[in-house]
Amino acid sequence: MKTPIRRQNPLALQPNHHPDDATLVSYAAGGLATALSITVACHLAICPRCRQRVSEADALGGHLLSHLPQQSLSAEHRQAMLDALDKPAADEPAAGHRASTAIASKETSAEADDLLPAPLQHLLGERFSDLKWSTLGPGMKQVKMHVGNSNLRLFKIAPGTCMPLHSHGGSELTLVLRGSYSDEIGRFCPGDVADLDPEVEHQPIADRDQDCICLIATDAPLRFRGIVPRLLQPFFGL
Amino acid sequence: MTLAASDESGSDNLQQHWLHCMAAVAGQRDKASFMQIYDYFAPRLNSYLHGLGASPALAEELVQESLLSLWRKAHQFNPDKAALSTWLFRIARNLFIDAMRRQPNWLLSELDMEEEIDPHSPSGDSHADGLKVQQAIQQLPMMQAQVVYKSYFEAKSHSEIAEELQIPLGSVKSSLRLAFQKLRVFLGQAEGNPPHGYPDTSSKGEPS
Repeated sequence: MKTPIRRQNPLALQPNHHPDDATLVSYAAGGLATALSITVACHLAICPRCRQRVSEADALGGHLLSHLPQQSLSAEHRQAMLDALDKPAADEPAAGHRASTAIASKETSAEADDLLPAPLQHLLGERFSDLKWSTLGPGMKQVKMHVGNSNLRLFKIAPGTCMPLHSHGGSELTLVLRGSYSDEIGRFCPGDVADLDPEVEHQPIADRDQDCICLIATDAPLRFRGIVPRLLQPFFGL
Repeated sequence: MTLAASDESGSDNLQQHWLHCMAAVAGQRDKASFMQIYDYFAPRLNSYLHGLGASPALAEELVQESLLSLWRKAHQFNPDKAALSTWLFRIARNLFIDAMRRQPNWLLSELDMEEEIDPHSPSGDSHADGLKVQQAIQQLPMMQAQVVYKSYFEAKSHSEIAEELQIPLGSVKSSLRLAFQKLRVFLGQAEGNPPHGYPDTSSKGEPS
């Protein structure tokens, strides 16, 4: 069922801004909301530094697992396990699908540049050029995605557009996919992640050379009902 | 709050033991070796999955699925990249996420796959020092231990933990960050020592 995933050229991007270690650990622990998890996955695909940290966080998970107290299973479980070993695997994906996901080396660089990050292709299709944007305001367009109960959207900001000053009530991750923007913290280029603490206020301005396309993930407001809800409105209160 | 049971001075021996078992499973399809892994890990996986909120029936099902996956993919296990416990942790976590969120497993397993096809991928935790990790965990301040516990054993988000512990979101993040920075020294390569000459934008030095 799984369609082959085409990959961006990983060498084209060298991120300078990374997710917080706390975010990477929660990714490994399985605690991130789905939208945030997808955003981290897009960054990891091109960032060996963060892949290393996630594998260390996985190792911590393995360590904790092997030190957990035991919780015994039902009496039949052991025999059922033994019986299962002899059964042939039911519709296991063929080993071949892994090979097909390697970078398609024959792609021209223009075609490769048009490819969305692999984890987004499942949600949005393969290419930037096929995205259906809706206009949000002067110089701003978006594509919204529904993933579980968290919010994920693509933002496209026209060159030089200045966003409203804002802070982040809940957890919010921004990954630059194309173009760049600058704010009080620095310049964010493709592959960079802004993982801001909630108290940080900032005012991003898209750089002047081209549209800036960002992936923005927020925790679902509904999960925090009753806890300072006004702070938890996603970017632009949408 | 105890994150884990007492010290295991024999943890290195145990790691060696799992390597022998996995070699026998992969090479000879040895059921006795497999069942040794089962007897050790199944009750712990069960405990883990219960903690995450799986019903008893689902937990048992996912324990079996996890270990069946180990049996079927034993030839893919690479001890240079990850300890057996890490491998099992990833399998069980991914199966749980699949089951609970009804999300396809591409989110996390995609990455694992990439590690397999990437000849330069980091070598993971093969050199993790179990005893030192355990000591470091036991020395974590209460708040940091709680945040680690809720992240790994309850799969809670930062916001959920902030709500439960009645602390600001920023404190959850800083506690988790500090705990990880203390522990990661013992979880594989230390800071500034990237494996296999992989470019690391955070470190200037050449890998040794």
